[in-house]
This record gives sequence, C-alpha cells and structure tokens, in this order.
Amino acid sequence: MAHVEVMEGFICPICMTDFKTPTLLTKHFEEFHKDDPEILKSLKDLFGKAKKKILKQDGMLDYPNEISSNNQKTKQEIDWGPQEIGEMRSHTKYFKDIRNTRLERYSMETNKLIIRLDKLLNNLPNDLVERKAHERAIVPWVDDKDVRLCPTCAKSFNLTRRKHHCRLCGVMMCHDCSMFLSLVEARKMTSPASVQDDLALSPITESTRFTDRLVQAGIGLSKLARSPSSSSLNSVLLLISDSSNNEQHFRVCQYCKNLLDARERLKARHFEKPVVYQFYDKMHTQIQEANHFIEIYYKMWNSLNEGESTYNLRDAQMVRGKIAKIGDNIDIISKRIATLVNIDDDSAVSLKQEYRLNQMVRTTAMIYLKNELLRTPPVPTTEEYEAIKKERQERIKARIAYERQLEEEQMEKQKESQREYQKVYDHSPKSPTSTSNQVVLDQSQGWGTSGRPGGNIMISSTSMDPFIEQMSNLRFYIKQAREECKFDEVAALEKNLKELQSAYFAMKQSDNS
Amino acid sequence: MNVINAIKYYVTKMTEESGPGMKVLLMDKQTTSIISLVFSQSEILMKEVYLFDRIDAAVRNEGLKHLKCIVFVRPTEENIRLLSDELRYPKYGVYYIYFSNIIPKTDIKLLAENDEQEVVREVHEFYADYLAINSHLFSFGISTCSKGLNWEKPYFERTVQGIIAVLLSLKKCPLIRFQNNSDMCKHLAEKIRYVLNQESNSFKFRQESQPILLILDRRDDPVTPLLNQWTYQAMVHELLTINNNRVDLSNVKGITKELKEVVLSAQHDEFYANNLYLNFGEIGQVIKSLMDEFQKKAKKHQKVESIADMKAFVETYPLFKKMSGTVAKHVTVVGELSTLVANYNLLEVSELEQELSCQSEHSTQLQKIKKLINDSRVRDIDATRLVMLYALHYAKQTSNDIAGLYSMLKKRNVPEKYTKLVYSILDYSGVSTKQINLFDREAVAKITKKLFKGLNGVDNIYTQHTPLLTEIIEDLIKGKLNSQSFPYLGNTVITRKPQDIIVFMIGGTTYEESLAIYNLNKQNPGTKIILGGTTVHNFDSFCEEIEATVVGTIARYKPRSVRDRSDFDHN
Repeated sequence: MAHVEVMEGFICPICMTDFKTPTLLTKHFEEFHKDDPEILKSLKDLFGKAKKKILKQDGMLDYPNEISSNNQKTKQEIDWGPQEIGEMRSHTKYFKDIRNTRLERYSMETNKLIIRLDKLLNNLPNDLVERKAHERAIVPWVDDKDVRLCPTCAKSFNLTRRKHHCRLCGVMMCHDCSMFLSLVEARKMTSPASVQDDLALSPITESTRFTDRLVQAGIGLSKLARSPSSSSLNSVLLLISDSSNNEQHFRVCQYCKNLLDARERLKARHFEKPVVYQFYDKMHTQIQEANHFIEIYYKMWNSLNEGESTYNLRDAQMVRGKIAKIGDNIDIISKRIATLVNIDDDSAVSLKQEYRLNQMVRTTAMIYLKNELLRTPPVPTTEEYEAIKKERQERIKARIAYERQLEEEQMEKQKESQREYQKVYDHSPKSPTSTSNQVVLDQSQGWGTSGRPGGNIMISSTSMDPFIEQMSNLRFYIKQAREECKFDEVAALEKNLKELQSAYFAMKQSDNS
Repeated sequence: MNVINAIKYYVTKMTEESGPGMKVLLMDKQTTSIISLVFSQSEILMKEVYLFDRIDAAVRNEGLKHLKCIVFVRPTEENIRLLSDELRYPKYGVYYIYFSNIIPKTDIKLLAENDEQEVVREVHEFYADYLAINSHLFSFGISTCSKGLNWEKPYFERTVQGIIAVLLSLKKCPLIRFQNNSDMCKHLAEKIRYVLNQESNSFKFRQESQPILLILDRRDDPVTPLLNQWTYQAMVHELLTINNNRVDLSNVKGITKELKEVVLSAQHDEFYANNLYLNFGEIGQVIKSLMDEFQKKAKKHQKVESIADMKAFVETYPLFKKMSGTVAKHVTVVGELSTLVANYNLLEVSELEQELSCQSEHSTQLQKIKKLINDSRVRDIDATRLVMLYALHYAKQTSNDIAGLYSMLKKRNVPEKYTKLVYSILDYSGVSTKQINLFDREAVAKITKKLFKGLNGVDNIYTQHTPLLTEIIEDLIKGKLNSQSFPYLGNTVITRKPQDIIVFMIGGTTYEESLAIYNLNKQNPGTKIILGGTTVHNFDSFCEEIEATVVGTIARYKPRSVRDRSDFDHN
C-alpha cells in the first residue's frame, strides 16, 4: 500500500498523535476538536471503511456467522483436501520423429511424381504413338522381359492379360491392377488450388503472374519444386477442348495413385472451413465476454448485499443489463447454428452427424444460459439496499462497542508502551497535505487517460488549487472508468476522491486556524 | 487419494489441451464407462465436447473434418489396429490421442507410420484406467476374474494394468503386502512389483510416507457378499443392481418413461451424496422430509397471484425443476426397495443371515432356516443364501444338516443353478483348508461388541455383521497386521504406521466393505484408505463368480443326497 512511507496508524490529522484504536481516536476528537464537526464526520466515515476491511479479515470471529454455517451441509464423501493431477507421459515427440522421417520419404516421392506429371503434361502429343514416345522419354519403362507376373496380383501375363506400364514410375502391371488419373485431375494437381477458377476467366495466363500466384499458394507450392510453364497449361487446355482425343487419362499404378490422392486430401483439408465455424467462434467469444461480466457482477452483487458502498446500484444494474444482452446474442447465434443443417430420414449419415453436432451446440448454449445467466441474482432495490446498509451499520456499531470494551480492558496494560510510541511519532511531524497527495498519486498509477482528448483539458486549468484540480481529475477518471466498465477502478478512485476531500477539509481547517 | 478427482483431472486436462473449438470424443467401451462415471453429459458439453463416438462402432460415420478429435482408449491390440485405420483415413480434422495405460513403443511407431496425413497433434498416456465409483472406491468391472481357482489370463493383465493406473494417477509408489494363503494374491503382487521395477522412471514420486498396497482374496471372506444389505447404496445394488451408476427400474410396475433408468451419482445428485451411507430407516425419514419440503415449495408455487410471486417462481424454477426430478427419482427407488423388502420377507431373512454370520446356535438357527425355506414369500435366492451361510458356518461340524437343507431346497424347486451353490461355496472358500475359522473369530469379537452395543441401546440386528476387511485394516492402521499371514513382498518390513493404504480385493469387493472403509477413513483422520476390487459384487454377481471360480476343480464337497430318492426324481 501507498501508506508505507507515510505514518501509519490511527493518527489525528490535527495534532499528529497516534492513537492505537479508532475508538480512542474518535474519543480524542470528540474531546479536543469538537469545533470541527465536518472533519469528525469524514473521519468517522473513513474509519467505517477501514473497519469493514478489518472486520472482513477477522472473519467476524466474534459474531455468530449464520451464513457460513448454513452452507456447511453434511456431505458424506470424504474430503482429503487438494490433490494434484496424476502422472502423465508424453509420446508426442517420439511419435512425431517417426512420422517425420517417414513422411519425408513420402513427400520426396510425391514431389518426384508431381514433377514428372508436369513434364508429361507439357507438350503432350495427341497422336497415340507420339504420346507413348513422349511418355517413355520422361519416365523410363521397366523392360518387358524382366517381368513375368503382375507384381500386384501375381498373375501371369498372356494374350488376354496384357502388359501395361505406370506412366509415372514405369512399373509393370496388368489392366485389372491399373488405376487411371484423368488429365483434368492431373492438371489440377500440378497447379495451385486457386488457379482453376482464374483460368476460366482468362484462358491464356501470363507466365509471370502465374508464378507469382504459385508463390502465394503455399501448399500447392510446398511440394512442387518447379513451376509449370504457360506452355504446359496451353497444351492441357488444348487437350481438354479437344474431346475427340481418345485417351483422356494416364495409366498409373496403385502406389503412385495413393501417393497423389493422399496429397489431394491433405490439400482439401486446408481449404475446408464450414459456415458453422464462424458462428461457433462468434458464440464462443460472446460466452467468454459473458463470463467476464458475470464475474464482475458477482463481485458487485456480493459487495452490495454486504451493504458496502464500494459500487453503486446503478452500475450493477447496467452490468446485469449487459449480461442479459449478451445472453440474447448467444441465444440467437446458437439458434442459428441449430437451424444450419436440416435433415430428414434419407439424409446422408455425415449430414445427420452434422445436424446432431449443431443440435448439441445449441443444447450446450441453452444449458449455459440456464445455469450461468438466468441464475444471476437481481440487484437489490434501492429500499432493500438502504435496509442492508442500515443493518450493516448496526453490525459495525455493535462491533465498535465490543471493541471499545476490549480496548478499555487492555488499556491499562498498554498504556506504558503507548506513551513510548507517542514520543516517537511526535518527533516526526509531517503535513497532512503531503500525505494525501502522495496517496493520490500512488494509487492512481496504472490508470491513465486512454487516449481521449478530454484528459488534456484538466491539465490546462492550472490556475486552480492543486487539490481541487486533483479532485476534478479524479472525477473525470471515475467517469471514464465507468464507461469502460472497470468497476474495481471506479471503487478505488472513489475512495481516493473521498480521502482527498477529507484531506482538503483538514488543510482548510489548519489554514483557518 | 481421491480416485474420482484423479480421473476428473485427467479428462479436464484432455479437453483443455486441444484448445478452444468444437470437439468430438472417441472412446472404446471401457473408457466410455470410465468417463461417464465421473462426468455428466452436460458437464462434458460445457467443455466443448459435443459428439461422442465409439472407436469400435460397427458403422463409423463419415466424420466432420472441422472437428478436433480427442481419442481416449485403452492400449489394447484391437484399439491400436482400429486407431491405425482411423488415422489412415481420418474422419476428423486433428487428433489428440490419450492412452489410458502404458503403451509399448512399437505401437506408437505403428500409429506414427499410419499418420500419413499428419493429423495427430499429441500422444500421451493418461492413467485413467479404472472405474471410480466413490472417492475411495474403484473397480475394474471384471465380473468373473478366475477360473479353476486361478487367474484368467486376460483379466489378470487387466487387473495389473488397472492397479498400475491407480498408483500412477494418485502418484503412489507402494510397498506391497498380500494375503499369504492365496496364490492369486501372490501372483498379482509379484507381477505388480515387476512392473514397478520396469517402469521405475515413472514411479519416482516425492512421498511423505511409503504407501501400502494390500492385496486380498475374496475367498477368504465369502460371507460378506452373501448378506442382504440395509444401507442405501448397498441395498440398491443388492436388490436392483447398480451398473455404472445406473439403476434399471424398467421392471417396476407403472414406471414413467423417464424413470425407467435412473442415474445415482454422488457427483451430481446431492441427495444421493448425502445419504448413500444411511440405513434404510433413516432414508425413509429423509425421503419424508424431502417430500414435505417439496410439497411446501410446490404449494407455494401453485398460488402465483402477484407479479412478485411470478418473478420468484421464474427465478427458482430451474432449482424447482431439478428438485422435483430428485424427489421423483428417490421416492421411486426407495418405494421399490420397500416393496421388495415387504414382499420377500427380507427383514426376517436378513435377521437370520446376521445371526448365521455372527452367532453359533446350531439347532435354533437350523429350525429358523427350515421355517423360512417353507415360507412362500421368501425368494429362491434368499433361501439359497441362508443355506449357503449355514453350510459355511457349520461345514466342519459333523452333526450338520447341509444335506437335509439341500434336499429341502430341491423340494422347493429351487433352480439347479442356485442349489449347486451350496456346495460350490464350500469349495470356493476352502473351509477345510483354513486354519482359522471365520465364524469363531468373529463370534468372539461379536459377543463383546454386542454386549457393548446392548448397553448403549443402539444395536441394530440387521447390521451386526462387520466384514473381515474392517479387522484387517484396523490392524494394518495400528501397525499390528500379522506379517506371517500378510507378508511384505521382498525383505522390507516397515513397523511404522502407514498413512496411505490401497486395498485391493481379488474376486470383487462389496458396498458393505466400501462403507466399512469409509467409516475407517472418518475414524482415522490421519490415514487415507481406498478400496478397489475386480468388481463390486451383489449376491447375484457373486454367485456367478463362485461358479466360474470352482469350474474345473475337483469338488471336495458333493451333494451326499444322491442317495436321496427325491433327488433322483428331479434328475
């Protein structure tokens, strides 16, 4: 606390004597400074606040606390106190090491295939014989004589089971074991994902722009070592437009096909992001916001119901309103999610699952609203609040009376030591002005004008008494803090303001005398 | 040492590690039970887990690529295979994989090789590999763990894994003690020590004191699971059967649809949490006051006249609704229990059971059993359990009339599957091989206790029996447990009083023993005791266990009544 470097204790602001207890100080005041009812009052208020803190810290041991005893229901489960989470062991690193070494090999092979595919597509002749020569020039084929059986199905080749070659790796297989990669697909594979749409608009692309785009499309490029030239694309386009062409696909082996398919799936995954995502994200942020406000609200509500004057009723009401509004938003968004997908009996399984997911999200939102938002207790009405406050004051009074009694009993014992303390403090006089100034400056740390021009206006009016200026500054900060819903700071600032006011009074008084 | 918390922390950690976003939980049969025991669906939903899927489902869905998938499975061979398939053709976006137990490196390698699409983000071992029933009670859900008086291999493996998981999740590295006269105990103890040594890197915990793992055999105390129970949880399990916190009430006449299956979870049902250890009489009282309170509230809500009334109603409505659900549930359950008690004359049966288990008055008890066998209200299984208790108690007495009672059961047309238990239980317990007589010892203790209780006037004739377990644990707490009958594994002998005790009962524990452990925990605040079993038995499930256990052994006890003519007629 900021009081550290200042005098601490129950000090009379006028004669700077330290009184050990608030009761003594008040008594002293009543006896010696009767003429200043204002100060007396403000002092009493201050003590009231201090007492609240003290009472809280003490846990009100001297009073039967009904609330806590009511809450202590007899739970039958044994409570062994806090417990830490059990042992865990991670295999992530080992897993990834193995996966990476393996995938590196795969991606190398895939890259090789893509590059070959690109070369094949480049200037692919229409004529069958020419095309075969072109293909063999790029990928050397396995010699026919070396292979007697189809490596995949282990059946021997004969007149009806002809020998075929994979166009990508040159391996031999029978017709049944062959897979086919259509030229359209092949073209899609060698070009980045976004290219296709653009091509429809401008069939003849400039090579420079094209390579640019390749650089941008990270995934498409990451495994593509070499960019396709414009000529290759032209040839592809030519092929597609020429529907008379009899072979619109490459014959490939299963292994190559699998590799290419896996790459395609990976690519698709990166671009897939359904609508529900956006809604869900929105809902999630709203829920987080609501949680934030609920926390603030409960703090305020507890304080208000304690009869404290840290927060004010209107603010609490406002926060509650805000929470309700966020609740409405959550409700609307979740309803929207629930109606995103509609199904009937014939719908696909995946659609049904999506439907179920959305319904569950909605259910969760409802549970959340019911448990968290609708249960927030209402702000006490003004009358109720007054009643609570009064009750609290009664309690404090009772406490003070009790304390006084205690003190009087202890008085005799303490008298000796008290005198010594007094001596010490008498030798270190400090002006009350500096005290409160210090307090204000320290406590307002961390709270600046958040870039609003209004902050400067205050500074310009330097002609004012520094105290008044400080106070109006504080008022401005309070307003600002309230606008930004930082109610803790409002409370702290208001406390400062009050202290400042009392100090100001004190100064005025000493000036007059 | 709270096993429920241990599981909860793991699951919470799982859901947090994957960050915000919609999640699906992929589980196997056992992990589904493990999680559903400690989390309600709404709790899981609040953790952004919206869908639940089984890895072994026959028809797997297409999947949703934008979901995060949390995989929580046991590291079984089958699961590894299924998970490999899943990774090769992933149905969800990214995967966070958690195994409930120690997994061999080769399996991790296999999975890594199948993750060609790089969908896996994390792979961990989280040792939530047991059913946490109460904070001090766990089970592995193995209904019959032995065959021919020895372990069945798969269940042995499961038990070892389960106990290792309990130890890891509670961060305990224990000294092991076991029941010396049981081979199964010794076998299990040695295997656990082997794993502890092998995985010694995982078991380096800072421990204030060395915990004790005590391994016991059900066969040493076959009496406890035979008795009818009168505390709420135990009684519900005995008469209605609790399965994963769920009670099937569909057999109850005129039951409403939503009460066909009720969930009794101390985690989520405050009434149950407060009353699960109360006896039936007390429960009746509590239910009555609950009803009164409910009616008072319901009445108050009925007259909604002013706006203020309405407002109050709306504000308390969720609470009101919740309460009405609780009331309806417990009223139904308790109502059903009291019907069963009255219909089956359970009070009289139970009184005799208690006498049979605690006192030795052969002739009067024999008369009473005969009387009850002839009572048409008494169920077949209750008649059987009386004879079983009698057989256990008086098997060594030459003048016993087991054969006579057996033929009486036959005359009563009690099904064969029950009558044969009369002799099976003798083989199961191995009465003749036992040096100490279970009943004698208890009888002595009981006489003094009874005298004491009688003086205080708090004697309850239906709860005279205390399980053997209580005695063993009391001795253990005092540091007086016989180190001949319950030796330490290895050379270590600790004379200090243990602070943390983990008791494991091979062949299943009971809710009566759970209550005993609960009470011991309350009586000894410095000591923490948890109890586990291969399963939690009631009479029915225990009968199955007995049958499975004695299968293939040479029966020492056979119905002598083969000579009995009536027996021939039946066969």
